[in-house]
This record gives sequence, C-alpha cells and structure tokens, in this order.
Amino acid sequence: MSKLLRDIRDSFFRTPWPADERTKVKAMIESLVLHVHAPKVRPASLKFRATWAAGLVSAVLLALLTLTGVYLMFYYFPYPDVAYRSMKDLAFVVPFGKITRNLHRWAAHAMVAMVTIHMVRVFLTGGYKPPREANWVAGVGLWVLTLGLSFTGYLLPWDQLAFWAVTVGANMVGSIPGVGGYFRLLLLGDASVGESALLRFYVLHCVVLPLAIFGILGFHIFRVRRDGGLVTSEHAPEESAPEKAIESAAEKAEGKPATAAVAKPKPVAKPKKLISAWPHLLYREVIVTMVTTAAMLALSLWLDAPLEPQADPTRTPNPAKAPWYFLGVQELAHYSAFWGGVFIPAAIIAGLCAVPYFDRHLGGIGRTFPRERLAACTSFMALMTFLAVVTVIGTYFRGPGWAFMYWPH
Amino acid sequence: MESPQERRWLDLAFALSTAAVVGLVSVAMVREVRRPPLKEQRIVPALGLVDRCESCHDAAQHKGTLIDSHPVERFGCTTCHGGQGLSTTKNEAHLAHLDWERPLFTRLEREANCGTCHQGTAVPDAPLLSSGRRALVTRGCAGCHEIPGLAPPEIAPELDGLSQKVKPAWVRAWLTDPAQIDPAHEMPRFDLKPDQIEALIAFLWTLPGPDLGPHLGPHLGVGAGEPKGDSDRGKIAVGERRCATCHRFEGRGGTFASSLDLAGAKIAPAWMSAYLTDTHRLRPHTRMPGFRIPAAEAADIVAYATEQWVPDTETTPLAKFDGEVRAPLAEQGKKLFADLGCRGCHEVSGVPFVRVGMPLSAMGDKRVGDLVTTTVAGPVSDVPAYVARKVVFPKAFDAPNMTPSKMPSYRLEPTEAMAVGVAVGAMKARPRPAAYVRASKPLTLPVGATGKLIDRYRCLVCHRIGGEGGDISRIPLDGEGSRVTRAWLEQFLKSPTTIRMDQAERMPVLGIDAAEAARLAAWIESSLADARIPDEPAATAEEVAKGKALYEKSGCASCHLAEGKGTMKGPVLDGASERLQFPYVVAMLRLGNAVVPELRHPKETFAPADARAIAAWVCSLPVPKSLQVDPAKVADADAPKADAPKN
Repeated sequence: MSKLLRDIRDSFFRTPWPADERTKVKAMIESLVLHVHAPKVRPASLKFRATWAAGLVSAVLLALLTLTGVYLMFYYFPYPDVAYRSMKDLAFVVPFGKITRNLHRWAAHAMVAMVTIHMVRVFLTGGYKPPREANWVAGVGLWVLTLGLSFTGYLLPWDQLAFWAVTVGANMVGSIPGVGGYFRLLLLGDASVGESALLRFYVLHCVVLPLAIFGILGFHIFRVRRDGGLVTSEHAPEESAPEKAIESAAEKAEGKPATAAVAKPKPVAKPKKLISAWPHLLYREVIVTMVTTAAMLALSLWLDAPLEPQADPTRTPNPAKAPWYFLGVQELAHYSAFWGGVFIPAAIIAGLCAVPYFDRHLGGIGRTFPRERLAACTSFMALMTFLAVVTVIGTYFRGPGWAFMYWPH
Repeated sequence: MESPQERRWLDLAFALSTAAVVGLVSVAMVREVRRPPLKEQRIVPALGLVDRCESCHDAAQHKGTLIDSHPVERFGCTTCHGGQGLSTTKNEAHLAHLDWERPLFTRLEREANCGTCHQGTAVPDAPLLSSGRRALVTRGCAGCHEIPGLAPPEIAPELDGLSQKVKPAWVRAWLTDPAQIDPAHEMPRFDLKPDQIEALIAFLWTLPGPDLGPHLGPHLGVGAGEPKGDSDRGKIAVGERRCATCHRFEGRGGTFASSLDLAGAKIAPAWMSAYLTDTHRLRPHTRMPGFRIPAAEAADIVAYATEQWVPDTETTPLAKFDGEVRAPLAEQGKKLFADLGCRGCHEVSGVPFVRVGMPLSAMGDKRVGDLVTTTVAGPVSDVPAYVARKVVFPKAFDAPNMTPSKMPSYRLEPTEAMAVGVAVGAMKARPRPAAYVRASKPLTLPVGATGKLIDRYRCLVCHRIGGEGGDISRIPLDGEGSRVTRAWLEQFLKSPTTIRMDQAERMPVLGIDAAEAARLAAWIESSLADARIPDEPAATAEEVAKGKALYEKSGCASCHLAEGKGTMKGPVLDGASERLQFPYVVAMLRLGNAVVPELRHPKETFAPADARAIAAWVCSLPVPKSLQVDPAKVADADAPKADAPKN
C-alpha cells in the first residue's frame, strides 16, 4: 500500500523531499511552479526592506480575486436589474455569497493600493535600471491593467455607486478632443451606461483583462529571474556598493538572484553567498500569503462591501464620484476635462514608461532612496505625493457641485 | 541563512497567520450555518420579482382580503406591500437601509400603489385613490401640472367678457379669498396683494366678450325697454326645471354648481338672461347643459335669481381703467395671469396655455427626503402625506432662503387632501406589464348628431358610461338599454319624472325635443345594452300568480309600492313594465345587485324560477290611472314588447 502511494507521489514529483543542497536545488528546478524561482537566492533579497513584500502581496491578492471572482461568476447575470438582484442573492441566499463578494471587493481595492506601492518601491530602489527596463514597462502595464480591472468590475453590481462612478469615468474618456466620443461609444456601446455597457464591462472584467494581466504577469515574473533576480546593492557598481544592500525588480516580492549575471555591461556582482530558495524564500512566501489572506478574511468578515440602491439613471447623486483611485484624475478633470482628465494621466503613464531609457545610471541601486539618486527619487515622490493629495481632495473634500468642503461620504 | 532568533520570529509569524486563516474561515463557516435560511421564495417572472417574504409570513392567512383577487402566485408580495422582497432577514426586508431606500409601504403608499396597475378613476377598494383621482380632475390640477392621462382642465369659466358678467368689486372680493364668498367652491386661494388684484382686474377688463345684444344696459343692468320678468313665476320655473339638482336656491339644493343665492348678487341680469337663452354661446366649456330657455321664461328666472342684484355704482375703477393707466396695468395683469397659472383653468384670448407647475408624472417615486429640503414643516411620513400638506399649505415646505411657492392653497378636508396625496403618489415612472394594467376602456361616444346631443346636454356631467363621467346620477348608464324600454326613455328624456322618491338629485328638464329624445333613446337602446342579461321567454299566467305570492312573502312591499300597498323607498312598481324590460327584472332578482352593483337593492337572490315568477307579476301590474301619460304612445311602444306579460 505504502508502495503504491509512494509510486503515485513519485510519478508526480520527480525529486524526493528536499533534504540536502542537491535535492533542494533539484526541487526548485524540476517543479513547474517553483522553477520561476532561482534555486539559490541572495540573502539580501529576502529582507523585508528589500521588497516590502508588495509584489508578492499583489500576486496573492490577484489569486484571491481570481478564486472569488470565479465563484461570483456562477451567480452573476450581466444584465441591468438582474445584475443587481444577483448582488442581493449573494447577500441573502448564496452560501458564502456575502463573504465572497466582500473578499473580492476589498482585495480589489487592496490590489490597486499594493501594486502602486510595489511600483513606488521599485522606483526608489532603482529596479527599473538596465537590464530591467522592459520589466518596468511591463510593470507599468500591469498597474494600468489593475486599474482597468478594478474600474470594469466597479460597474457590475449595477447599483447607484457603480452606475454613476462609471458614468463619470466614461465622460472623462469622452472629453478627449476629437476621438473622445468614439472611445466612449466603444467603451459603452451606447450613448449612456446601459445594458451594452454592462455586457462589455463584464467581458472585459472576466475575460479580456484577466487574460492580459496573467499573460503580462508571466512575462514579468519570468523577467525578474532572467534579469538577474531582485535588484540588490550587489548589483550596483563596486565603488558605490555599501553592504547595506537591497534588491529590487519588478513584480513579486520573492527574491531570486540568478547566479549568472547578464552578459551586458550590467553590474552583476558575484554574490558573497547564496542560500537555497527552499526553504528560506518559500517559507517567507507562505507566511506573506497567509498574512495577506488572514487580513482580507478579517476585513471581509467584519466590513461589508457597499451596495447602494439599484442604478437609477434618473437620479443623479450629487456629487457623482468615480472610484477612489480615479478621484485624483476626476479632481484634475474638474480644472480641465482634457488637460486634467486625459493629458496628465496619459503623460504620467508615458513618462513612467520612458524613465528607464533616460535614467540609466546605476549608482545607488538596490538601496531605498539612496543619496546617489536623490533628485530622481525626490521628483518621483513629489509626483506620487501630488497624486495622493489630489486623490485625497477628490475623495474627502469635494461636496455637491464639486465644491470644496469636508465631505467624507 | 537566518539566525535562530530570526527563525523563531518566522515560525511565530507562520503559526499566527495560519491560525488566523483557519480561525477566520471557521468564523465564516459558523456564520454560514447560522444564516437565516431561505424557506420559501415566490418568483414572478412577469413582474421581475423574487419575494422571500413567505420564509416568515404565511400568505394563506390573508384569505378574505384583497389577496383573493390578487393571488400571491401572480402578484408576489412586494408588488403591493413594498419592502425588500429579496431579503431573508426581518430588518432588511421591512426597513429602509443605505442599500435599500424603500421600506414597506405606509398605509397611504399602499393605497397609492394600487394606482400603478388600476388606471381608471374608480378603483375598487381604494376609496382615497378613487376620490383623489376625481379631485385631480375637479380641482384642475392638470392646469398647472403635467399629469399622465389628464388633459388641460376645462372646469373654470372662460374669462373673455367677464366685464359683462360681474362687477370689479366682486372680482376683488373673490380673488382675495373665494371661500369668503363660496366656501364650497373649488377655486383655490392665491394670496394676492391688492395691487396684483387690481392689475388682474385691469387685464380682465380688456378682454372683449360676445355680443349680448340689446340686453346689456348701463352698469351691467338689464337694458331699458327689455321685458322685466316676474320673480314668482321664475321661482316656479326654477323648481320645474329642477335647477336645484345642481344649484342652491334659498339654502337648498345641490352643490355641483355655484349657489344661485350668491349668483344673484354677482351676475349681471343681462348676462344671465343671455346665458339661459343660449348657455353654450357664452360658455362653450361649461359643465352646464346647453339650455335654450325661451326668453320670457328666462326673464322670469333672472328676475327671481337676481333679486339681490344691485346695479354697479363703482364707476371710479372703471373710469380709471379707461384712462392711460389702464394699458400698463393691464399688461402687468396679463403677465401675472400667465405666471400664476390662471390660464391653467381659465381660458382667455391672448394667453397661451402653459403649465407653470412641476410635472407630477413620477411623484410616486420620490422619496420624502428628495422633496422636503427644509425642517420648517416638521416630519413628513410619505409622499401622499407631503402632497396632502402641500395642497392645503403650499408654503409649508418653503425654506427661508427659497423663492416662495407660487402654488395656491386649496380648501380641502383632511381626508380629501390625503386622497389627492394618494392619487399623486400613484404616479410612478416605471410602467407595469400590460397584463397587469387595469385601464378603463376608453369611452367612445358617437360622433355626428347623436354625439352633438350628448355634448350639448352634457349627459356625462351627471351620468357615467364605461367608468367615465360624473357621479351625480348614481347608476351608470351602461346596460341601460337592456333595462328600460325605449318608449319610456323617450318620454323620460322629454319630460323627466321621479323614479326614486328618496333621491335629491333629479334629471333636470333640459328641453329635449321629440326628435332629439328619439335619437338619444335609440342610441341608448342599441349601444348601451347589457350582454349579460339573457332573453327570457314570455311569462305564463301561473308564473304571475306564483309571483304575487312570492312578492308578498319576500317583503318587497317594505320598499316598493304595488297595487297601492307598500312604501315608496324604492321605485313604484305599478306600471313597471312601461319602464322596465322583463328580462332585466328577472336577471336583477336572480343575480341580486351583481347586474347593477350601484343599485340599492337587497343582495338576496332568488332561484331562477322564482325570479321569473316575481318579475312576471311585477311586469303585469297596470299603470295606475293617476300616472298614465299619453296612452297612445305607451301602447305604441309596448306593442313589440311581447315578452312583458300583461295580466
């Protein structure tokens, strides 16, 4: 009997339970899931300050969102009014319906926040510098996709919040000079948010954007390893590499420095000492996964996702606000629909993509906010602070008629 | 390689987070087990609703209520009761929440809600809604507000030529407060300032009226040389014509039209004289039938009705209006007339009809919070209550910094105000599926000569046909063609008699001539027949004999008079066959008042054979000598009625 079990196990896992250095390396290489990690990693990349765990948390949240999302799809009908009733069914009669929806909602908000934090961390540690430029661009793409997923999901409950937030968002798209009207029509499939828009958003949310995000995420993780692992101070040129190292790269928080440095003139320092990913990296990843899951569960058990009254095109809330992560843009759009609502966001995204091709100096990489990169880090943080400030203003200080006042709803 | 201390922290973090996940999942499990279960749900696809109310409530317990005609299988629960039918917990189902703003209907909202399917004026078992809908018409609400299904009202006098009819002093008093002059009048109070009233008068006095011929003398009196009527003869004429069915005289009579006790002091004799001789020439939209009373009789009535008339001595204002002051003041008055929405009810030349109030078409969807933006008025429970306050005290909801409401205040009893509120609360934007809508059949009246007669004599002001029309006459004319004989109808139209002694409202003498009566009677017989009344074979002598015994045994004489015995609470039955058709009497006795629900006849029904017998006897009763009219005509008309047995 035990032989049969052993045979079955051996047929699935080609390596024995990792015990010594050799089997640990073998396990990491042979497994489909684990081979995204290097078998050996730099100790510096395992430090919390190296990654803030933001990339891994984002990935865990994406996994949670996928699981809960699939469950929600079993009960959801993408048609006006019926969609709203689906929400009520989830709340009242579907087993685990309420907590599933809560998890999905809170994990979505958390993911927007964590992906943004991840981007901040990568910038501050210089993780976008050669050879990691392409991966940074992929990361910016993932950030945009995350916002897109969140925005398309926002409409699906078909409540007042959903309807008007998306109406506001679609109007921002519509404000692009010349082509805005067409883009808006392409997005909504109609002159206003209605059954066509709901169907399009549903397909985007459940099929198109998830496929895109998984595809790019695969590339993103793959490139972390191929680009030499998480950036640490060991990647910095010799003269400016104090031992206070921090790695960085894009994507997930798991570190995996490849022993072999890239051939280009990139400073791939010979690591002082590598430790095996099994169990040091994996153990930390499991802990981060568990903490993230526990936090989301706790939030979802005691805080219900909002569900306003059913969408009513005849009753406009005042103020009508976009989802919180777009309120900065809405605030800017208030000053000028095109310049604030379209040009600045587009310029920010384009600028982010361009950064690695102009800021190529390698000094100070691997450390957060290093003296060598004072100007770059300061301007980036100024931009982020600016976005945070306009978002907070849009969220908490804009009342009816977009008048400036304390308006915490 | 981490230090042992680091390792201990990692182990602790792993243990705690794993325990947390396991613990939290357990909490979710426990909650799932303890969630109120869904025991029962009612799905009504046609209405797009899923009601889970029956998880707690038992619909069967409501037997004997309106649920009998509104089965839960077809209507669900929330269609009539409101609330959140999808909920499985009491509070969420019954109360208002952040995510569900509409709690269970209040009593008034519930009745208003009937009106979302029931679209006719008269809604069974919804007295407030029915009377409210009637009030929307009689109070002219559609003059200022857009109301689905209501045309601009034509309820108030056309004001062209007002100067020929009344004195400025009267207008001044009337506009200050109509209730001071006629407490029962429908016109609301506008709270006008004296200078506004003067401007309105200046405007109204510019409006030319029709030519009243030689009648109009100086200061609105009867012109010199016109025959003076005789007041005593006039009083008799008013009685004979049954003007008191609608008008009050000396404190007695109907309230459907203005009191002539007041009219005496108000209306210029010359105008009244012209009005009686050709009513619709002066007031094409009046509810009053188109009388063409001969000049001499009219003069008598005018003499009687205007005994109180004092010739106008107020020359000053009129003179003032003739000066240069008049034009700008009149212009100001015209603007005021339009702004205040006077044109909503009063037609005048030169001012187009525009509704000045807000549309009411979705008032039932409003939440009180949307309507009441000030706390000045105190709490309001629902939309009907809001409207009820609003129509009586329109400024009750004016916030201090708002432009005051322009709406006039209506003198309504609290119940009537509530009724208006309920009728307004019934206006909801989302239409019900066609299969659920109970629309009143649109009334198709004949066009051509018959139609002109029906319009001229304003039949529908008093009579109801197909749910439309007035309720001065209690019994709708639907089916009348199967109930009474054509000969009797013709006779009645020419010279109406009294059928029920206890009725205060009687058909006025409209002056319908023989040809007109024949035309109307033919139309009633052919178009207003009751298909539910089957033909009956003629009665036999045995049935007549059996009927007499049954009649006596059943106590019919406690209301009816027959062969000189009994009382006159109900119609006299002697000579009944002159008036009633035998099959109708049978059906009425057999089905009770199912045939004519408005009839105040006992609900008791008779077995078909018994019904036939009693009807046979009743229809065999001869006309008493004292009541016989024009025997030649009666004989003529009776000839084809072979089914009405003779004894």
